[in-house]
Amino acid sequence: MSAVAGDGTATARIGISIAPFAPLLACLGLLAAWQIGALLLGTDSIPTALDALRAVPDILGDRSGLANILDSIRRMAIGLASAVVVSIPLGLAMGRVPAVASFFNPILMVTYPVPKAALMPVIMLWLGVGDLSKTLVIFLAVTLPIIYHSFEGAKAVEEKMIWSGAAMGMSRLQIMARIVLPAALPEILAGCRTGLVLALITMVTSEMIARKSGAGNILFNALDMGQYDTVFAMIIIIGALGIIFDAAFDRLRRALVAWSDTRQDIPLSFS
Amino acid sequence: MRPTMKRLMLIAATAGAVLSAGSAFAIDTIRVGFTIPAEESKYWMMKRPERFPDIGKTYNIEWTQFQGTSPMTQALAAGAVDCATQGVLSLANGAVNGGLKAYIVAQHVYEKPGGFSVYWAVKDDSPIKTVADLKGKTVGISVLGGGTYGPFAMILRKAGVDPEKDIKLVETGFAVSEDALRQGRVDAVNMNQPFAARAEAKGGIHKLFSLSEAMPNIVHILEACRADFVDKNPALAKAYVRDITHGMEMALADRAETLKVVNEVLKAPIPVLDTYLLKDNDFGRDPKAAPNFDAIQLMLDIYAETGMLPKLSVRQFYNPNVVAPIE
Repeated sequence: MSAVAGDGTATARIGISIAPFAPLLACLGLLAAWQIGALLLGTDSIPTALDALRAVPDILGDRSGLANILDSIRRMAIGLASAVVVSIPLGLAMGRVPAVASFFNPILMVTYPVPKAALMPVIMLWLGVGDLSKTLVIFLAVTLPIIYHSFEGAKAVEEKMIWSGAAMGMSRLQIMARIVLPAALPEILAGCRTGLVLALITMVTSEMIARKSGAGNILFNALDMGQYDTVFAMIIIIGALGIIFDAAFDRLRRALVAWSDTRQDIPLSFS
Repeated sequence: MRPTMKRLMLIAATAGAVLSAGSAFAIDTIRVGFTIPAEESKYWMMKRPERFPDIGKTYNIEWTQFQGTSPMTQALAAGAVDCATQGVLSLANGAVNGGLKAYIVAQHVYEKPGGFSVYWAVKDDSPIKTVADLKGKTVGISVLGGGTYGPFAMILRKAGVDPEKDIKLVETGFAVSEDALRQGRVDAVNMNQPFAARAEAKGGIHKLFSLSEAMPNIVHILEACRADFVDKNPALAKAYVRDITHGMEMALADRAETLKVVNEVLKAPIPVLDTYLLKDNDFGRDPKAAPNFDAIQLMLDIYAETGMLPKLSVRQFYNPNVVAPIE
């Protein structure tokens, strides 16, 4: 009995000690699978993981390469921030005012499944080929999940809390700002986290058709020229950006809504 | 309060003076679309603007890169760009379906006799020995319904192969064509530079037929400007075309520098570019970027013959005052 218990404790201890490194191990496993797969296939269009990793410093060490990536991040940040500013109040209003929900719900349901990057050619005709059209595509992609989560979060706020606020003499705006918003914040931030990933995806796809600069500039040029090491190196960089942004956002989320973290989250990021 | 007010007024007056001076010296900007590869004169204008006396002084260029010529046709039709690279088919499609009114102002690359011609390759051990053997096979083409389809379809028809019924035509971008052929995903595929040079160096494949067998002097890409832009800004349009002429002259005169310029735009290694760029196995370039309107008319006729376009005259794209060469 004692031996079994000892084994169980040891296993649990190993599990605990490995847990912080699990995302890193997963990445290493993925790279190893990629390396073996590429070696087995032996085709030019799939370089080995090592070849792709070797091309990463070339991109990041080149001033124009770095400027391209930073341009994309700037557009992504503007699109995401604008979406947050617009979507959270709208989602909260939809969650608490049935008339607002009745008005916007059908519009959102129709537009939700439309791939936003596919709108790029049309938006380009209205707003030109500059930053505005790309930022708008990012904005549109990010808006819907944040609205949806804000809506669900606001809807789930207990009526008793609203009544208590009203009984204390709060106005509708005060109830929204001081009761609904904090109570819905965990759900809102879950929407923002989804939005962050979508912003990163749309950031690249918005540069597919027309571009002056950006991560897509490096990626799609390399693809056109058959420079597959660079293509996959850019994919690695974009993936790494996703991990960094997600980890940073998760830290922010934990700081803001630590009170709501009752469940054991699966570590998706390195945070 | 008073000194503060005075300071504010001084700042406002200074800002006003700077802004008005800025507008007095504002120079025109031309919005240009480009793509990769094979636009050396524009790459020179982009990366060596100091070698062009007018760029940055009498006018500016706002460059936007597009993925192929078709999105640039849309951008021209929408007025999102003033001038852009075009293929003959994409420009004609824009005129027919999008109401685009544009002038052909210069030419980038064409298929010169004896030079590189887009070709369809097969593996050395392939049972396909002639065009007729393509019946029942899977054939790759860079863009379905793209500019190369017209002459490709003509060659197949001449050999008794119906390109719509007798083969399975699949879209295979130039960058992946070699891989697709070697792995057997297609039985024949079109090759373009620099991928053709790379594949030839490896061996194991050979040319089945090339587009030049259907027609000589195929114009692959040219420069077009919106007619309303040219009519409203003739001096600006002329300055731009003058620089394209000058850029082409410089690109051809200094190959070593052109390799560097192209490397900066394409990010392709110079040793790769050196295998073909501006050599005999490359496309042809008119020394002064002059469009070959007769060859373009012949292409329009082939597109009409293959049912891709209605009958069109190249005259609608011609403006004698704004066309390369402009010295």
